[in-house]
Amino acid sequence: MSRDLMEGSEAIARAAIDADCRFFSGYPMTPFTELLENFAKSLPARGGVCINAESEIEAIGMAWGAAATGARAATGSTGQGLALMQESLSEISRAEVPLVIFNMARGQGDYYQATRGGGHGDYRLLVLAPTDVEEAVYLTQLAFHLADHWRHPVLVYGDYLLAHTRQAVEITPTDFGERPDKSWAVDGSLGGTGRSRNVNSIGMQKGTKGIDPEAFWDRLQKKTERIEAAEVRFEEENCEDAEIVIVAFGTLARFARYVVRELRAEGVRVGLFRPISLWPFPSEALDRATSNARRVAVLEQNAGQMIDDVRLSILGRVPIVSIGGISTDAAGFGIGPLLDAEVIRARVENVFQEGAS
Amino acid sequence: MAADPALKMTRKEFVSDQDVRWCPGCGDYSILANVQRVMPELGVPRENVVFVSGIGCSSRFPYYMNTYGFHTIHGRAPAFATGIKASRPELSVWIVTGDGDGLSIGGNHLLHTIRRNINTQILLFNNQIYGLTKGQYSPTSKVGIKTKSTPQGSIDHPVDPIAFAIGCGATFIARTIDVDAKHMQNILKRAHEHKGTAFVEILQNCPVFNDGIWEDVQDRKSRAKASLVLEHGQPLVYGPAENRQGIVFKDGIPSVIDLAEDDDPIERGVVVHDEHPEASSYAGVLATLQRPDFPLPVGVFRAVEKPTYEAMLQDQVDSATAERGVGDLSALLHSGDTWRI
Repeated sequence: MSRDLMEGSEAIARAAIDADCRFFSGYPMTPFTELLENFAKSLPARGGVCINAESEIEAIGMAWGAAATGARAATGSTGQGLALMQESLSEISRAEVPLVIFNMARGQGDYYQATRGGGHGDYRLLVLAPTDVEEAVYLTQLAFHLADHWRHPVLVYGDYLLAHTRQAVEITPTDFGERPDKSWAVDGSLGGTGRSRNVNSIGMQKGTKGIDPEAFWDRLQKKTERIEAAEVRFEEENCEDAEIVIVAFGTLARFARYVVRELRAEGVRVGLFRPISLWPFPSEALDRATSNARRVAVLEQNAGQMIDDVRLSILGRVPIVSIGGISTDAAGFGIGPLLDAEVIRARVENVFQEGAS
Repeated sequence: MAADPALKMTRKEFVSDQDVRWCPGCGDYSILANVQRVMPELGVPRENVVFVSGIGCSSRFPYYMNTYGFHTIHGRAPAFATGIKASRPELSVWIVTGDGDGLSIGGNHLLHTIRRNINTQILLFNNQIYGLTKGQYSPTSKVGIKTKSTPQGSIDHPVDPIAFAIGCGATFIARTIDVDAKHMQNILKRAHEHKGTAFVEILQNCPVFNDGIWEDVQDRKSRAKASLVLEHGQPLVYGPAENRQGIVFKDGIPSVIDLAEDDDPIERGVVVHDEHPEASSYAGVLATLQRPDFPLPVGVFRAVEKPTYEAMLQDQVDSATAERGVGDLSALLHSGDTWRI
């Protein structure tokens, strides 16, 4: 296999199509637009369908319909468009429909939206945050696998740089084993039950009388707990003896990794902890990774969102400081001064000085 | 807002201090200039004028008008405008939208604002493309259009804004052209005078992503043949003097006839334009006139009187207060059962 130079948007679309995604719908919005356009370009030749919907609300409705027929389906937008999709996301969680959603976000201000959500009721989305194009290729494929495996929506959190940076990548299909059975899907077959099927979000099945919301929600909650136990993903580097552990995700973590390596080469005891799954958040792993640290520095490109999950992981054992903050360009696309190794290095050095005094 | 013709205002007073930022050659510049030119003539003081927009190239409009303005959410300007008119009916409220903002994500909101007959002016700039996001097809794009989100050509049938407005029961419907200053200014004045929702489609050129789609109706030479200027009480005649043509209806189906120089169009059965029929069927037939088989009608398709939403809303408030008296919060709180804790 060869490595091809391509933009993140193209790489993600190709990875999704290689993972057998056969339906995509979306609505143009920077920096998500090119993802939609790449699906539009590439899906038909692989037997799939891409629709430029009339709104994000419509796009997720279409994707939900396609996924419910058993097809691997995806949709996406930026956080602004995802805001419009929140109602569907909570309903899809309850309808137990596998769907992949891409947020090509304008920075990292959608962390709460991704991990808490704005929909109604008790639900969580599985959230994967790639740090570069190469990892996005893998995590995109993983997202389709997890969606099918858990019958649950999976959100991939990207951003402007991920969508628009060109990187040499190799797109190889990852084998996740046998595909789970989709006997629940509305696919025109009898599926051995002899009954027509019904996709809904209130736990009602044909052939059963009435609904029992408590039992249904309880079953979903148990599934949520199983996901929490099984799907934690993270990367840690140089944390064991680190005085300061930086916690960062996504694109910003790539910058942080560079700074950590640079400082390590100079003998500074600093480490990086990078959550790959934002939900479930790698709380126990972070607690362990910071066991020798005297400070935990949270680097995120927002007013302070992930820092809540860091606090919940460490529970006051080590002082936590924020070295991130709001940082964007004039257009609001999240290309701010914080995306600069020198700026990050200065902030990390500052934490060391503060800690020393 | 009752207009005060005595009020002396100038175009400059309606020009804001913002740098206008559209692509060079965009039809929006001309629309902005004409709106700013008409405003002083309407006799409404600037502080009583509100421009409301959603998202898109057209939606930058409120920044450039030295009036009150709202730059709101994609497709939602009609909903904001409804709220404004319901609580401050005396304001002159203008909705600026486009074919994407108004007819895709905002189609639902546009429908309900129009059917309620809220006294607002809706200016829908139609360039048949998404400009702000760099050239994807819109709900008014032609079948077969190749864009980056429809690389094999669009298979969607477009919605015609005029036909849409007729379907919603609009009481004033007009179409004008970005480069025809005189025509547009006249239509804008008529829209403002109308009591109820005034829906105006403005054919607008996007020189970057969909250049030339209205060229034949914009160009002074081809305009006479490519467009049909609607004038109340006048027959539907178009084309250069030596080669006039007219529109006749047979069993409700329109067709084109050639007119000799000395023909009387009305004697030949050419339809006489009437803005006021209560039934919208006539305007509906006009809306089906599309190039290349027909000239594209421009002007007022329909203008009928119906009570406005905010007037009826006020009637309900008046009758409720007449029946039960003006409310007294304190009296209400202490009426009926109360508890002491």
